[in-house]
Amino acid sequence: MNYTFDLGAVTRNFDVLLQGLSLTLQLTIAANIVGLILGFLLALMLVSRFALVRGPATAFVEFFRCTPALIQIVWFFYCVPMLFNVFIGSITMAVLALGLNLAAFNAEAYRAAIQAVPREHEDAGIALGLSPLQRVLYIILPSAIRASVPVLLTNGIGILQQSALVSIVAVPDLMYEAKTLATETYRPIETFTIVALMYFAISLPVSQLVGWLERRRPA
Amino acid sequence: MMSYDFSVVLRFSDALTLGLVMTLKLTVLSILIGSVIGFAVALARTSSNGVLRFICATYVEFFRGTPVLVQLFWIFFCLPLILGVELSNLVSGVIALSLYMGAVSSETFRAALRTVGPEQHDAAIALGLPSHVEVTYVVLPQALLRAAPPLLSNSVSLFKESALVSAVGLADLMFVGQNISNTTGRPVEVLTIVALIYFVIAFPITRVVTVFERRMLRKLKA
Repeated sequence: MNYTFDLGAVTRNFDVLLQGLSLTLQLTIAANIVGLILGFLLALMLVSRFALVRGPATAFVEFFRCTPALIQIVWFFYCVPMLFNVFIGSITMAVLALGLNLAAFNAEAYRAAIQAVPREHEDAGIALGLSPLQRVLYIILPSAIRASVPVLLTNGIGILQQSALVSIVAVPDLMYEAKTLATETYRPIETFTIVALMYFAISLPVSQLVGWLERRRPA
Repeated sequence: MMSYDFSVVLRFSDALTLGLVMTLKLTVLSILIGSVIGFAVALARTSSNGVLRFICATYVEFFRGTPVLVQLFWIFFCLPLILGVELSNLVSGVIALSLYMGAVSSETFRAALRTVGPEQHDAAIALGLPSHVEVTYVVLPQALLRAAPPLLSNSVSLFKESALVSAVGLADLMFVGQNISNTTGRPVEVLTIVALIYFVIAFPITRVVTVFERRMLRKLKA
């Protein structure tokens, strides 16, 4: 191969990549806030005993889980303004698309954890004379939320990866800046390798933390 | 308020079918190759060779810790430069998605391998089975059975991730859909239908996974 490596093209333009990284991190954090809160509300709807409440939540969750994230993002960017005649800034739209996607996955994580709380715990609550609301607040939710943390963290870091998709609709995140830089400098190997390492450097600690949390959890 | 006319999509049904065929071809090939890689890597991670374990762990963490889009771009633009050969779009797409599937499914296989107890290994030694026979006739069948439901889920994810190849110009369902949406100026109709096509394929598989898992739980309890 006759390709000489030149990291200079990347290091000289590193501030551009850092700007992109900063936007990527902001998108990830904002989407996680939306996903954690909305996902929790959706999970409460999913375990409701009323089919009328369960139905829409199930449809939402299944739809977002069974279609590509890319088409969700493209759909939001092209169709939401046309359908609802509103114009939302591209970054808000990106947060919305990523946040709703994450909410669907988080809802499943919360739901699985809520349903995994042993029946005996609730019986104990009844025996102690706790009201239904107290049983949910003080018995079911604390252990359910604790049990769902590893999955929520995995989903949350997954959104860092998925956020690269917004580069396709021209939101200037890390991936977008990388594509521009690789094209301008003709240095795809250096640029994409360094950008991959940047994403990796953020994901790795979180995935290690998840592994540690899962190991120390009593079986 | 504009009116919506979903019949425009019908005029392009041939193009969409071609795109869907490309998506399915890409997905199936990558699932097959990726699962083989995944099983091999999962086995290698139980090896006593520390260097081999480290290389495999790095591969898995790296492909799980970076965006698939970055991996795709890397394979599309950098691999031909490094290898010095032109790769067709389809080949690059299959390589990228297979490597991703390999990393993800290796974790699935690893969890499944853990459920094959050490006494099985002892029994294989007691019977004097050589290690390749032990792997193919003792470990693989049990691991595959346990791994089947999560492996199907991984396959659904891969099917969804395959839409990314549209970003590097491979004419899959997503690519065709976006093209039609741009030329007709009817994104609402076209993109919604394309999303529904993905949904109609992915959703039944996720149902099968749920039923399969429930049945297996019952079987394992019995």
